[in-house]
Amino acid sequence: MCVAFAGLVRKASLMLLVTMMFLVVAVEHGAAQGTVPPFPSQSGPENTLGDQSDSDIWRAIRQGGGGLPGSSEVTDGVLINADGVWWSQLRRPAGPLVRFGSIGIATVLAAIMVFFVARGRLRIDGGRSGRRVARFSLAQRVVHWVMAVVFLLLGFTGLLLLFGRAFLIPIVGKTAFSIIATASMQAHNLFGPIFIVSLVALFITFLRGNSPSFSDLKWVVRGGGMFGGHVSSGRYNAGEKAWFWTATIAGIALSVSGLVLSFPDVLGTHDLLHRAELLHAIAALVFVGFGIGHIYLGTIGTEGAIDGMISGDVDENWARTHHDLWLDDMKATKGGAADGRD
Amino acid sequence: MGVIELLEGSLWTLSVCIFVVFGLWRIFVILTAGRSPTQARPVGSPRGGAVRAIFGHFLPRRAFLGQGRVWFVTIAGYAFHIGLFALLFFAAPHVAFLRDHILGFDWPALPRWGFIIAAQFAFTGLLALWVRRFVDPVVRLISRPDDHIAAGLTFLVMLTGCMALGEQSVTLRGIHLGFVEAWLIYFPFSSLMHTFTWPLSRGFTGALAGRRGTRM
Repeated sequence: MCVAFAGLVRKASLMLLVTMMFLVVAVEHGAAQGTVPPFPSQSGPENTLGDQSDSDIWRAIRQGGGGLPGSSEVTDGVLINADGVWWSQLRRPAGPLVRFGSIGIATVLAAIMVFFVARGRLRIDGGRSGRRVARFSLAQRVVHWVMAVVFLLLGFTGLLLLFGRAFLIPIVGKTAFSIIATASMQAHNLFGPIFIVSLVALFITFLRGNSPSFSDLKWVVRGGGMFGGHVSSGRYNAGEKAWFWTATIAGIALSVSGLVLSFPDVLGTHDLLHRAELLHAIAALVFVGFGIGHIYLGTIGTEGAIDGMISGDVDENWARTHHDLWLDDMKATKGGAADGRD
Repeated sequence: MGVIELLEGSLWTLSVCIFVVFGLWRIFVILTAGRSPTQARPVGSPRGGAVRAIFGHFLPRRAFLGQGRVWFVTIAGYAFHIGLFALLFFAAPHVAFLRDHILGFDWPALPRWGFIIAAQFAFTGLLALWVRRFVDPVVRLISRPDDHIAAGLTFLVMLTGCMALGEQSVTLRGIHLGFVEAWLIYFPFSSLMHTFTWPLSRGFTGALAGRRGTRM
């Protein structure tokens, strides 16, 4: 009984001591912060805030209000930079960027599936002839596939970083996602410069034939023949040209914004970094969206299309079906030799 | 015993043993294989031919200097091999690993920017050469599954290594180490052995040519 009572007294004393310590720390903390202590102090000055409340002051600070810096080293005079609030709202897992970005990618995938179900594979008119026509050089094929691998790596890791918090954390948990995100970030940063070099090489090797022409207009008006009928086209059709220029412009945007994000201390201010990240995300979504369409049309979507990018040549009937003007031009200028490589 | 302990302990020892024992065995077999005696009178110097072939083949033959694809292979080959060498022996985590687990001493490591540049060269070179195996009709014909497995494993080793560059996760280090061990085990039985056998093959064919009085 006595022992139990002694234990109770010890516990009560301990609680009293902890409570007193907590109050002392709270008072000193409040004093250090320059705010009103939790209970009136006899020794401190009263009504130091005048007709302002704590809420008014913190609201002003929160909204980026200016003030007089206490330190001569502070040049900005702003305690909290509120310029990033819009970015924080935009970038949060349930924010517009993730929401509209995921809807955009899902729409592209759904459109491709609907098109495949409705239209099926685009066949070669008259079937394969067995005669081959040279279309892409070795340099073009190597550059294309290096870019393809880099695109897949960057696209996959980039989408993990953009959508991971919203879609992966609920599935794999925060610990596993932190590992995935760390790995993705390292790989993404590493392959970025290779993307820039590949983009330049891709632009140089594929520029010829990608200038707009009058036949592109007819191709667009008739939907590229995707819903039936034959539409004439040169070396590249309007859809391929659109992909080329979209990839170039989005690629430049990705490269510039990626460099800013990779060297934040050298190249970026706080505000510039937010805008660079937004531009990076939008350009990446455009690139990935078009890229998915390109992958579909270049593989299962169009019979015989992938041949040109693997062996360098295509079936003559494939060329006549999709690029008849190029085939005629090539035969005329090269004296009938079926070699359309650059 | 956890997976990480296994990867850093028994599996690491086993893979290094396989790499060393079977690698040495393969070189021993090559060196002792001999060749059938040649009855013809030697016209030139086999030794000179071997030396010329070993060192002369670091650059493309003069007759092919005008061909773009020769320069492509040469530049991509050097980019990959020099980049990989720099990563393997001068990446800071590798220098520390070799010091702590194998050698007991170290040497100056690459700074981070040096690592990044070496990795860019290595990845670009490897990707370009590997892609060429698929799209060049001649190289596609002479490529075996072993070549693709070797290239793929090397790519995965490099990729997982770069993913673990932050050194924040034991899991990422374990994944990298797992691929390194698979690479070490595969190494002696594959075309990866050209790392050690290239002077032998160049020297052998160079010596044959030298004996006949021709140049390779």
